[in-house]
Amino acid sequence: MKFPKWFIIVLMLASSAIVYGQENETLPFTEDEQEKKLEWNGNLDVKYSLFNMDQNSAQYKLQFFKDPPATSMLSQYRIEPYLNAEYRTNGLGFVLKTHASYYSDSNSRFDLFEAYASFNPSFNTNLQAGKRVYSWGKGYAFNPVGFVNPVKDPENPELAQAGLLSANFEYIKSISSDALQSFSFLAVLIPTTDIAGTSFGEFNNTDIALKSSFLLWDTDIDLLAYYSVNKPKRFGFDFARNIQDNIEIHGELSFNQNIEKFAIINNSLYNSRVDSYSYLIGLRYLDASNTTIIAEYYHTGAGLSMDEYSQYSEFLKNGAASSNPMVAPQTLNTSLTHFRGTTLMQDYLYLKVSQPEPFDWLYFTPSLYTIYNLIDNSFLLSFQMSYKPVTNTEFIFWTTMFVGDRSTEYGGKQVQQRMELWMRVFF
Amino acid sequence: MRTLSMLILTILFALNVTAQDANKLLKEVDDNLMPESYESIRKLINEEADGSKKEFTFYTVKKGKDKIAMLYISPASEKGRSTLRLGENMWLYIPSANRPIRITSLQSVVGGVFNNADIMQLEYSTEYDATYTKGTDTENILDLKAKNKTVAYDKLKMWITKDKKILRKVEAYSASGMLIKTLEFKDDKNFGGGITRPSLIETYSPLYKGYRSLMIYQTIKKRQFPDEVFTQNYMGRLGDLKK
Repeated sequence: MKFPKWFIIVLMLASSAIVYGQENETLPFTEDEQEKKLEWNGNLDVKYSLFNMDQNSAQYKLQFFKDPPATSMLSQYRIEPYLNAEYRTNGLGFVLKTHASYYSDSNSRFDLFEAYASFNPSFNTNLQAGKRVYSWGKGYAFNPVGFVNPVKDPENPELAQAGLLSANFEYIKSISSDALQSFSFLAVLIPTTDIAGTSFGEFNNTDIALKSSFLLWDTDIDLLAYYSVNKPKRFGFDFARNIQDNIEIHGELSFNQNIEKFAIINNSLYNSRVDSYSYLIGLRYLDASNTTIIAEYYHTGAGLSMDEYSQYSEFLKNGAASSNPMVAPQTLNTSLTHFRGTTLMQDYLYLKVSQPEPFDWLYFTPSLYTIYNLIDNSFLLSFQMSYKPVTNTEFIFWTTMFVGDRSTEYGGKQVQQRMELWMRVFF
Repeated sequence: MRTLSMLILTILFALNVTAQDANKLLKEVDDNLMPESYESIRKLINEEADGSKKEFTFYTVKKGKDKIAMLYISPASEKGRSTLRLGENMWLYIPSANRPIRITSLQSVVGGVFNNADIMQLEYSTEYDATYTKGTDTENILDLKAKNKTVAYDKLKMWITKDKKILRKVEAYSASGMLIKTLEFKDDKNFGGGITRPSLIETYSPLYKGYRSLMIYQTIKKRQFPDEVFTQNYMGRLGDLKK
C-alpha cells in the first residue's frame, strides 16, 4: 500500500503531539523559574593567503584566460566574521548563525548558515523548523551517508557551514538494558523551490530524510534513508565503537539509487544515471604521548575512473589551448559546475597526525595530514600549526602542497603550494 | 593440619571483612563527595610553568553510577562544546561540526594536569576495589585497585579523615607503580542541601613539573534528570537544563 506524501507529513506532525501527550517527563521549567536570555557569540577570522600557481596548468590558464597575472605568486587577504545569536526559554529556542566573507568593498558576501526555531515539548522530543545544519555519519573527513549534510571540505572538516531549509522531528528514548542503551528517530522534511524563476516548489517534490540511531552493545549504529521523487534515493548505515581504551573504529556504507554522474566523453559533457555504493572505514588512535592519528579509506562509487579523469583532464587542456575565445569560459564553467570539489575520483586515503604541545611548546598544536588519491597516486600534503597564547585568540599557520603529474587530480591543480596565516578572535 | 586450616580460614575471613569495610568506607567517601544525581558549576584553572593561566567553566550533570555530561560555559572559544560519558563510552560535541564524535577516556579535552577521568569522574567505588593500609591518627588510608583495564589509573592511594570521612588526598599510580599525579582536596564548603565537601581540588604531577591545575566548585545541587539527557542527541541541548 502506498501512502500519499501529505499523509506522511501530517502523520509526522501529529506524532510529535501524540508523543508529547504520552510522555510524563515534561520539561520542569515554568515561566518564572526559567531565566530568559539572549546570548551572542562568534568569532572574527582574518586570513592572509599566499599561492604559488602553476602557470602551465590547464586550470590556471582557464581561470586567468582574460588577464593572466605577471608572476606565479598570488596573495589573498580576507576577513570572515561569524556572528551567532541564541535565545532559549521555557523549552522554546531560536538560533541564528551568520557568516560573511569580505575581500573588498566591491567583493563581499553574506551567508545565513542557520536560522531555526526549536520546541522541546519533553526531554524525549524536539521539533525544529528553519535552516539548520545536519551532520550525519561517523567519518571525520568524508561522510558517504551525509545525505542532508552540507558539502564537507575534507581539508577543514570542523569548519561551520550553511544548513538546509527544513523541518524536523526527533524522538529519543533511553533504555535500561545491557544490550540496547538508547534509541532515537529523526525525520526531516525538505521542501523544494523547483519551479524555475519563482520561489515556489511542487508539494509532491518535498523530500524526506530519516535517521534511526541506536547505542547497542556500546556501539553507535545509525540507519539512514533519503526519499525523493526526482532526486536520487539513498540508503545507508554507519557505526562507531571503541575497540580499546585508546582506539576507536568507525565506518559508513551508502547505496545511492539513480545518482547523476557527469563525465567527459569525446571532449563533451555527458551525464548518466547510475546506482552506486560509497563506503568509508576509519579509526582514531591515541598513543601514550597524546598523539592522535586519524586514518580513513573512502570509496565513492560515482567518482571518476582513471580513464574518465584522463578525458576530463584532456578536456581542460583543449579548452585552455583553444583559439576560440568562447571555449575557455565554457570549459571553466563546466569544470566549476560539474567537477568541483577535492575528491573527484573513486578511492582516497586520509591520514592525519596531531600532537598537542610537543617538546613543551606551550599552547602549540602541530598537525600533518594528507589526502592521497589511490587511483592516480597524486596527493596533497598539509602541515598546520595552531597557537593559542591567550584565551579566545588563536593563530594558525597552514601550508599545503599538491603533488603529482600534471595529468593527475592533485598534480593538475592550478595551485602548487598554498600558505595561510589565520588570526581568530572569539567573543 | 586441622589447626593450620582453621588459621588460614580465619585469616581469609578477616581479610574479606577488612576488604568489605574498606569498600564500605569508599562508598561513604563517594556519598560525601557528591549526591548520586546532581548538577554543578565549576571552574578549571590550568597554571603553566611560566605562570600563565587558562580558565574554563563547566556546567555538569550526573545521574546514577555511570552517566555524566558536561557543557563548556566559558571561554567563548570553547562555549557550547560538551562531553558525555556513559560508562566507558565517551563523546565530544563540537558546535561548529554539529555532531558528537566518539573519543577515548584518555583523550584530553582541556589540556593541563587534569584528564577526562578526573573531570568526568564517576564514583570511585564504581571503578575501584579498596583495601585498608596503615593510616595516621587522624586519617584512614585506602589502597584502590582498578576493577578493569579501561580505568585511567591502575592504582590509587586515598587519604580520608577519620571523623567526617572527607577525602583529603589522592595519589594516582600507573600499573608499573609510577606516581602519575596527586590530587589534594581543600577548602570545605557548605553547598546547601546537606552537601558539605571540599570546594577546591588541586592537582600536580611529577610528569609536568611546574604545572598545576585547580578545580573550584561554585555550586553543587541535588537534581534528578531523565535518562534521555544522557544521550548523544541531547548534547547540543544541554544548555537548556541550566537555570
